[in-house]
This record gives sequence, structure tokens and C-alpha cells, in this order.
Amino acid sequence: MAASAALRVALVAYGEWQDAHLEVRYTDVDYLVFSDAAASVAAGGSPFARATYRYSPLLAFLLLPNSLLHPAWGKLIFSAADLLVGLFIDTILRLRGVPEKTRIWSVVAWLFNPFTFTIGTRGNCEPIVCAAVLWVLICLMKGRVLQAAFWYGLIVHFRIYPIIYAVPFVIVLGKNYAGPAGRPILTQWSSKQQLQSDKTSENVEEPTSLLASLWIFLSSLITRNTILFGLFSGSMFFAWTGVFFYLYGWDFLNEALLYHLTRTDPRHNFSIYFYHIYLHHQQGFSSIQKLASFLPQLIVQLALILRFSRDLPFCLFLQTVAFVAFNKVMTAQYFVWFFCLLPLILPWTRMKLRWKGLVCMLVWMGSQLHWLMWAYLLEFKGRNVFVQLWVAGLVFLAANTFVMIMVIRHHKYTQLFSVSAKSGSKVAAKKE
Amino acid sequence: MAVRSGPCMLAVAFVAAAWVSVGSSVPEQAGSSQKAVNCMPCSRTYIADTYLDALTGQLAEHRDLTEVSDTADLCKGLTDDLDLPTVSEVHRQLVGEGSHRRLVYSVKFGNCKDAMEKFLDGYDANLVIIEKLPSGVFADPFELQHFVERKVFLDVAVFGDTNLELPSALSNQSAVEIHFDLKASKSMDCNLVVELPLHARYPPLDTSGYATVEFRSPDLLVRYRKKETHPGSCIWVLQNLDAAPLEKAVWRVPCGDEVHVGFVSSLTFVSALLCSMSIVLAASLIS
Repeated sequence: MAASAALRVALVAYGEWQDAHLEVRYTDVDYLVFSDAAASVAAGGSPFARATYRYSPLLAFLLLPNSLLHPAWGKLIFSAADLLVGLFIDTILRLRGVPEKTRIWSVVAWLFNPFTFTIGTRGNCEPIVCAAVLWVLICLMKGRVLQAAFWYGLIVHFRIYPIIYAVPFVIVLGKNYAGPAGRPILTQWSSKQQLQSDKTSENVEEPTSLLASLWIFLSSLITRNTILFGLFSGSMFFAWTGVFFYLYGWDFLNEALLYHLTRTDPRHNFSIYFYHIYLHHQQGFSSIQKLASFLPQLIVQLALILRFSRDLPFCLFLQTVAFVAFNKVMTAQYFVWFFCLLPLILPWTRMKLRWKGLVCMLVWMGSQLHWLMWAYLLEFKGRNVFVQLWVAGLVFLAANTFVMIMVIRHHKYTQLFSVSAKSGSKVAAKKE
Repeated sequence: MAVRSGPCMLAVAFVAAAWVSVGSSVPEQAGSSQKAVNCMPCSRTYIADTYLDALTGQLAEHRDLTEVSDTADLCKGLTDDLDLPTVSEVHRQLVGEGSHRRLVYSVKFGNCKDAMEKFLDGYDANLVIIEKLPSGVFADPFELQHFVERKVFLDVAVFGDTNLELPSALSNQSAVEIHFDLKASKSMDCNLVVELPLHARYPPLDTSGYATVEFRSPDLLVRYRKKETHPGSCIWVLQNLDAAPLEKAVWRVPCGDEVHVGFVSSLTFVSALLCSMSIVLAASLIS
């Protein structure tokens, strides 16, 4: 922990040096955008006076000391959030009864992931979102539904993508959420045999007809907890959105919210859709095309939610990977969204680093480097390689799919919360 | 709406390049008779904002300084008996590869030692570059502002369509105005080098695979005023640098090909569907 903190401080300091001395900046372009927006707020203006500022005004407020104290303030905040994510990962795994040695390795997988520590120190705000998502998870695990709803509403306002977690959150908050003591009971990490016995008991509960099972499923979703969570997080979201709409008007709504919902980018990015969008940007899109690009995303999200939502961290991880992979816009900063969830599933995977784990990493990184090579030729050499770049995007999607399937096949499905007391199958359940 | 450069725009370029010689100009003394001057009050910071259409905020096609303000009277008595340094060489070159390049201007003043030093003793003087950008490229006003903070430029402004993300087909033209302090030229032997970073937009589709973006001639001026002036009567004198026509600057930007529309769209959808189905299958098949 101390070592990774030192590494981050050193990188922030190094970034200052490189920005001052070299042509190629270490600092992320977006960081300059945040800083300009914060400076605009400090001068009494709107953060949206800075073109391409597409975030909640909260971020600009948070970075006010950038113009008042030191421009590296935000980087320190982001890196602190990044360390907090490490702490939260440890907390979550401890709550789930993971032995210390495994926990440390999982935390290391976040703290020393080269993607994550560079992103925070270069001034990217995603670590804050990651920390908030993990904190919501911790609140849910500890039975603090209202607090979870508070942070969830806030973070969906801050960055919209965690909206995809709404359904699994509601599902776990359903009927079997609270144990006899009114607090949820967490399934503890354990060996293979016990888990299998858990699973057989689950199969016994299967209802007879499809309609009946659907009815039981839906009615199990309407509980005091789900209603509280839904209402409170919803009003949090609308309250923040309302306040900023009042302050900054349509600028805020268009830039911070609607832009992300309708975003299509014809410029090259990891998404398989970029060339399709570029080829159609002059005449627009038919509704069939819009549906066709939305359908795969919807199918995968629904399937993952229905199949895995009771193993909540695993479900969130898969949902995020799939969401990013099938999104119409994909940039490297989005990868942090699932990197922060990856350590939460590592203790439950049967995949060994040698060799399947390594193969997955190499396939994922190799296909990414392959894409980057074509992107470099297009952007920095001015070569017309649109088709090659698009094919590289397809290959990257295939790599993402391959990794997801490997992860799914090797995962030991473990419900986050023990099935309620009456099922009588809580072999692995221990009260926290 | 798309604004494409056509014959109409070329005509505008000539009008724009020659604007100082129309209407408000005052003939210079013998010796530098080919030059023309114009004047404006110091309260006005920029020159290129006259190109802007007041209603739309876009660059107007037929507009020059003389249409907007009658400045002839302002110049009276200001340009007499002044030995202005003359320009001996002007070059403009597009440097770099890919989507991010630089227009590099080099302006060399003659009789550097005597004339320039004497001139700068009595006057504040700037080199002003106005580059009307074709719709295929843009300058990032925020990036340029950081140049001002680092004192590379004295001042800079971008007029017209400053959206940084839209492809050419959905964007309009813009113009950049750079102010460069002539004081800095003394240390450079009166050889000024100014670099303007530019970025390519995604061009409209074309079967040739590359779109050609061509730069027109920029407006180069020297702007000066007496060092001791009264706030009420402060006037900038603008002097056009009628350098020989600059060499063409051409930028080839890779563009998408309409022929690809069919197979790219269908294969994109098919592979997205295939991948999503295989994930669904994997999820439902695990024991």
C-alpha cells in the first residue's frame, strides 16, 4: 500500500516535470479540460464555458483548488481515490472471508496494474467513479441500503454508466436480501465442495412453469428495501441534476447528460462501430441501424443480469466488460471501469495464471496493441487504413468476447448473499 | 450545413488579402509606396473579428474591415516620416505528418540592426498573422491559449466554427489571428518563426481515399503604436506586409470510402450479434 502510494506521488511529480520539459505531455488532455472548467467556475462562470467539458459540475467544483492552490491538486485527489479503491477491494474481500494472502494478491492486481496507476496520475477522473461504485457495494453488503442509494444516485449523476448496475442491485435487494437479524448474510469464501452443495439446493427451488417463475421473480423484487433504494437513489439523481440544470441550464443537460446518452463518434476509437458511424455521418442513421447497434448490447446485458446477478461482483464485472466492448464509443479510460471490479472475482476463479490466465491477458493486450498500431498509422502517419483499423476493432471485440467466455467458464458461481434461512442449505453461510 | 471551398471562396481570399488597400488606405511616402496602412482604436483587440457575421457567429464570405468601420480618418498624421522595417523574406510551410501538423511561418526583416532597433525604441509593434482555415482543419483555441500563457505568442484568437470534434461535412470555417511581439525578433536576428498547431477534421467520404485541404494566403501585418499614448487617443496602425505570394500549403487527409458502406455496416452488425450470442450461450451453458 505504502509502496503504491509512493509510486503515485512519484508519478504525479514526474508528470509535472515532463509537462514542463518535454513536447509530449504526460498529463491527459481531459485534465486540462477539467482544470480550465474549474478555472472558469473560480472566475464566477459556468464550467460549460470550456468546450468539450462533458462532466458534472461537481467535478469542476472538486478541482477548484487546481486554480487556487496547485494545478496538480486534482491528480492527487484522483490518485487518492485510486488508493481508496485498493482499500475497498480489500474490505470487500475480507467481508467475504477471503484469506489474507489471496486478498493481498487481488489488491496488488489493482494497485500495480499499469493501466490504473497511470490513469489516475495523468489526471483522469475515473478512479473516483470506481471508488464510489465499490463503496455502494460495501454499503449493500453491510445492509446500509439508504447510504448505498445516496452514493448510487450521486455517482449515476456524476458519470452515467453505473446505471447498468441498477437492475442487479434491485435483484439482490429483493426478498432474500436480509437475513433473520434484518441484516444480509454474506456467503463466505470456501472450497469447491461446499459451493456445489449450495448449487444443488438452488436447483430444487426451481418453480414448475415459466409464468409462475416469472411471477415469483417479479414479486420478490418488491420489498421495502428495493423501494427505498429505488426512490432514494432516484431522487438523489434528479436532485443533483435539477440543481445544476437550475444553475447552468441546457448547457449542463446537453453536455453532461444527453451527450453521453446519444454519443456517436465518427473519429476512430476502439469501438467496432466507429467506421460504420463515419461512413453514415453525412446522411444520418435509419432506426433499423440504431436498433441493430443497440440490440447486441441489450441482449448481453439482460443475459448476464438474469444469469449472474446474485453473484453481484461477478455480474457487475461482466456487465461492465460487455458494456464497454459493445458500446458505440470506447476509449482506454473506460477499461478502468472493469479493472476495479476484476480483483473482486479473482479469488473465485479456477483459472490458473499459468497458462490460461496468461493467454487471456496476452490475447486481450495483443489485440489492443494491434489496433493501436493501425490507429498510429492513421493518426500520426496520415495513411488511409480505415478498413484495417475497423477489422482490428472487430478482432478486439472477439478478444473481449473470448476473455469473457473464459472467465465465465472458470468462475465458481457464488451468491454474494446466502439464500434465506428457510431454504436450509446455508452450508457455506456464516453470519458476519 | 457544409461549406465547401469553391471558386466563391477563392474570390473571397483575394478580397480578404487586399482589404487594407481598399477605401481607408492612405498612400505611404515614397520608398515604401507599395505598402498600405489602416488604423483602428486600441480598444479593439483583434482584426479578424471583422470577418465574423454578427448574426450567425460564422465567418462571413464577403466582408472586410472597410465595410465595418470607416477608419480612414484615424490614420491622419500617424504614418508620416516613419522608417518602418521592411520584410525581406516570408515563408509558410506545413510541417509534420498525420492529423496533427504545424503551419510554420518565417518572416525575416531587413536592415535589422539599425531600423528595427530604432523603430522598437519608439513603438510597440506586433506581427499579426491571420490565417483563414479551410473547413477540413481546425485550431484548438484552448491549446493556443496555453501558448499565450507560456509567452510563445503575445495573444491569439480563433473566430468562426471552433467545434473541435465534428467532421468537415458538419462544420464551418474558422480563422486564427496570432499576435507576436516584435521585441522578440531582436534576439533572433529579425528572423521570426511562428508555429501554429493545427488538427485535421474527418473529411467527407471520397472514393480516392484522400481529401485535399489547401490553405490560402494568410494576411500578414505589422501593428504598431507609439509607446507614450493617451488612453483616449490610442490608435493602432496596421501595415500590410505585401510579401511575394506564399508557396502553397496542401494537406492530404485520409478519408472513408463510400464503397465500404455495405460490407462494413453489415459485418459490424453480424459480428456484434455473433459475439453477443456466444456470450449468452456461454452464460447459459455453465453448470
